[in-house]
Amino acid sequence: MAESINIDDPGYPEKLRKIKDPPQELFYKGDLDPKLFDNCLSIVGSRKVSMYGREVVGKLVPSLAGITIVSGFMYGVDSLAHLACIKSGGRTIAVMPCGIDYIYPEDQKDLYYSILECGGLVLSEYDGDQKPQIWMYPRRNRIVAGLSQATLVVEAGINSGSLITASSAKAYGRKLFAVPGNIFSENTQGIYQLIEEGASMVTSPFDILDFYQFSSSDLSVPQRSSLFSSIEANGTLREALLKILARESLTLDELVRELDMSFDRVSAELTLMSLDGCIFQQEDRYYVA
Amino acid sequence: MLLKISSAANFGVTSIGVTVEVNIASRGMPYFDIVGLPNKSIDESKLRVKNALINSELKFPEKRITVNLAPADIPKEGSFYDLPIAVGIMCGEAELNVPGDALFFGELSLDGTLRHTKGVFLLALFAKENGFNQLFVPADNAQEAASISGVKVYPVEKLTQLVNHLRGSNLINPCIYINSRVKKQITYEYDMGQVFGQEKTKRALEISAAGGHNLLMSGPPGAGKTMLAKSFCSILPELTDKESLEVTQIYSSIGRIDPGNSIITQRPFRSPHHTISYAGMVGGGSIPHPGEISLSHRGVLFMDEFPEFSRGVLEALRQPLEDGNITISRSYGSYTFPSRFILIAACNPCPCGYLGSVGKSCSCSRNQIAMYRKKLSGPILDRIDLFSDVYNVDVGELSTNRIRDKAPVGSDVIKENVQVARERQVYRFRDCGIYSNAEMKNSHIRQSCKIEDGAERLLQKAVVLHSLSARSYFKLIRIAQTISDLSGVDKIGINHMAEAIQFRSSH
Repeated sequence: MAESINIDDPGYPEKLRKIKDPPQELFYKGDLDPKLFDNCLSIVGSRKVSMYGREVVGKLVPSLAGITIVSGFMYGVDSLAHLACIKSGGRTIAVMPCGIDYIYPEDQKDLYYSILECGGLVLSEYDGDQKPQIWMYPRRNRIVAGLSQATLVVEAGINSGSLITASSAKAYGRKLFAVPGNIFSENTQGIYQLIEEGASMVTSPFDILDFYQFSSSDLSVPQRSSLFSSIEANGTLREALLKILARESLTLDELVRELDMSFDRVSAELTLMSLDGCIFQQEDRYYVA
Repeated sequence: MLLKISSAANFGVTSIGVTVEVNIASRGMPYFDIVGLPNKSIDESKLRVKNALINSELKFPEKRITVNLAPADIPKEGSFYDLPIAVGIMCGEAELNVPGDALFFGELSLDGTLRHTKGVFLLALFAKENGFNQLFVPADNAQEAASISGVKVYPVEKLTQLVNHLRGSNLINPCIYINSRVKKQITYEYDMGQVFGQEKTKRALEISAAGGHNLLMSGPPGAGKTMLAKSFCSILPELTDKESLEVTQIYSSIGRIDPGNSIITQRPFRSPHHTISYAGMVGGGSIPHPGEISLSHRGVLFMDEFPEFSRGVLEALRQPLEDGNITISRSYGSYTFPSRFILIAACNPCPCGYLGSVGKSCSCSRNQIAMYRKKLSGPILDRIDLFSDVYNVDVGELSTNRIRDKAPVGSDVIKENVQVARERQVYRFRDCGIYSNAEMKNSHIRQSCKIEDGAERLLQKAVVLHSLSARSYFKLIRIAQTISDLSGVDKIGINHMAEAIQFRSSH
């Protein structure tokens, strides 16, 4: 059963109270631990996330231990951010665009419950099982932006809803981060707009950790180079593959062409490497783990 | 006066003997009737026979003629009873010596010539098994029947020719079989050498051809899925004699062997359109005819736009994919058609086709993609062995020297590899009644697959990591066996297993 907290209650998140039009009442599920709101980072982005976006979220979030990840529980970047946070043992807050008793999107029920199981929180300003309406999303986005000191936009098209979250964050005087991407991708057009307007670029977890003034002694923060793996390679083909994959993620066909070797050798080696855990495959591309 | 002429009826790919009894009574009004559950085409035989006899300047008796097709309780169809009926009637008028061990089979034209008809190959098999030594069939079909040794096949062009033969003057020369296996050199429209890039899919096709594995290609429109599938014909191994016999039976039963041709030596390639009906795919009709899955027996069934086929058609593939045959039941009995084919399926990654492709963005909603994927049920996907993505090859890259200088390996080279690998399998399974790795049941795997310890461990690891089903486990062994056959060894090594794991579904 959902509980609620009023804007005048002491447990109401301080940062949210400061925004222009804070919700009078917040409904929530899970444990309302005031510490959860101390260091919050909102991660938002495109619903149609590219492989690059997946990689960014998957590698960035685990390095942000100690920071609560806030997002909107939509599929795409939102759900990936929640998931990556849970996987690395963190706590995360999902802000729903619908009534607190309704799970939307329905097929992310597993994620929903694991957010709660891992000590996270599900929030909404609406009671009951109301379905989401189109006008509720921008309202939800203001809460996502309002909860955090900073908002990170991973991928955004020119009409993306993430830009609404970003402009809310700016209006509330919060820090805005953006991850640069491929200049040819549609998902990057909104990002460049943000960077032009003054958002800080994120090229390593340190850009974010510095802002939260975490030093590597406070937390077991991975070193700057952690986005790039350094695995001891044995065997020349394995070395060559790791070298190429560290530069960019490629498909099997592209690797065969790049190395100019027979298909059976390259594919067999890739399987062995995946099973050894030094690379992983997503859709049809290979990444250094 | 009663005469009995032997013929046969085909049901599916099996035949039963039919005795055509012709009674010519001198009493009663002139009349001509056929009994024994004939369908319309047999009933119309009366007019064909009468006119053919008259136009051949033979006498048609103005008497009461009754024809019975025994056994009388089985429904019969087809036009090939014309010849036995005509022979029976002619006997009433002229002194003809009809041998007891002869079968007659053929459709008459009104001018007394014999037309190409269906099922002659099945008839010849029936004749051989049941001790009929002479076969009178239309000249166009003679080669088809002559491929069965031990039966004398007389090619009949005209009724008058047959009358002379049976009278003992001007004998017809028995047909001499021309082995079509050696006479043809086939050229293919598409060649693997024309396809640039697509290394994974080409390798998947090679493995599929060698071991008979099913393949699903997924890729954006224009990436070359159809071209790859069409060039697949050019790397298929030769039909063995036994396989050739099976294929010919099916094609003969529906009259699809061209005049003058004998047995089928080419693996069939069928690519039905996705609007095909259920009966068109699995076979059907009141007397069942083989569908596309049987017509592609020992060959290839290419299903382009795989998810667009109707649900019923797709689900109907389950039994044939598993068992290699399809059983169609009717109130008076059931028919089993063989259907051991290689399924080559092609689909787009999403309804608009551009999901995950570089350069063009996908315009589908997440629901649309989920609905599209849902069209392919788990049980169907589980029966597909190899999965491969086809990419839009960059036109700029195609023209760069790196690719252009190095022409892709041509079909002839791949085919040679495939042929050798297939022969290894045929030899390995010589006592098991199967021809390829894809047909291996679990008992065959236990019996004949030797797996290196390292490869076995690798497989176990993959099963745990990717949480594979038991069916997938055996699927991987089958593929690995084919890969090891392609590299010329019997024992499955680590690299063979590792490569096999590459072809599992990535979704």
